Amino acid sequence: MRETVGAADRAAGRAEPGHGEAKPSEGFENGRGAAFLFWLLALTTVGGSLFVITRRNLIAAVMGMVGTFFALAALYAMLYAHFLAVIQVLVYAGAIMVLFVFVVMILNRPEDEPWALQGLLGKALAGLAILYLLVRISGVLWSVKDLPHAVVAGPRPHGDAPIAAGVLEVPGQRPPRDDDWGSTRSVGKALFREYLFPFEAVSLVLLVAVVGGIALSRPQHREDPDEAAASQDNGPGAKA
Amino acid sequence: MNDIFYKLTVSHFLILAAVVFAIGTVGVLMRRNALIVMMSIELMLNAANLTVLAFARYHGGAAGLEGHALAFIVIAVAAAEAAVGLAIVVALFRTRHHADIDRLTLLKH
Repeated sequence: MRETVGAADRAAGRAEPGHGEAKPSEGFENGRGAAFLFWLLALTTVGGSLFVITRRNLIAAVMGMVGTFFALAALYAMLYAHFLAVIQVLVYAGAIMVLFVFVVMILNRPEDEPWALQGLLGKALAGLAILYLLVRISGVLWSVKDLPHAVVAGPRPHGDAPIAAGVLEVPGQRPPRDDDWGSTRSVGKALFREYLFPFEAVSLVLLVAVVGGIALSRPQHREDPDEAAASQDNGPGAKA
Repeated sequence: MNDIFYKLTVSHFLILAAVVFAIGTVGVLMRRNALIVMMSIELMLNAANLTVLAFARYHGGAAGLEGHALAFIVIAVAAAEAAVGLAIVVALFRTRHHADIDRLTLLKH
């Protein structure tokens, strides 16, 4: 029970003097490597997302999605969410995308949908609107940096795990190694203590999803009246 | 000006998440294939997760770890959503032989 207070609370306690002595105006300096890595991963994420929504070929879209998820997992690791980075790769890039590939292969339809808007004017208007929205949202989000503790990737105030050392470290400054903020151990403590009820509720959600998925994808019989009505707009082949 | 490029702040991650979320929204609104729409929804969920984790890192401490727990639960719910949604797509294909959401107008009255 002594450990109930846990690494997280110790980290919170330690964070205060660390922030106090660092001047907020300068913030923490992260290495150039971390900045380069962030921009590379951001480019991969945005490019992969654009790739996903512009492909006609479904398999190509799924592959772009996998690349996006890997880049996002690396970004999670930059945010010291090591456990969630692994979970992201396992669950998203592993399980969910395999499910998508399964469905694409089962259906095996060539996509004949054109990716086009009607009219150049609509495109220009939409582009302007999106640009305006992005500028305004970026302005709002950028102003968050004026708050204290804003610098993310520096010598972390909340402890360290040695993943990505050398990229996120400042050379010559050793972070404390006895803390494990964001590791499997600390996230597991949070999950099984404060978040035990949501954790168990999620298992129920997954059970319902499994049953619902099976019930939905089971072959149905033609005497179902709903389905007879639904098949009427299928074209001339359907029973009128 | 160089600070924007070299000094990473929480805003970098927030803006990146906002851009990814916007791309996902565009995918949901523009594409007609149900599978691409579902992938765009996954993109939006991931952008939300990135926001949660950025704020968790920003806050730090025990409350930040609760953000990690929230992100974990979001991933689990996204997996359930993908399973049910793909089952719906398969059932649609079985009855309609297409997954064009512009032509699925049975409930549109």
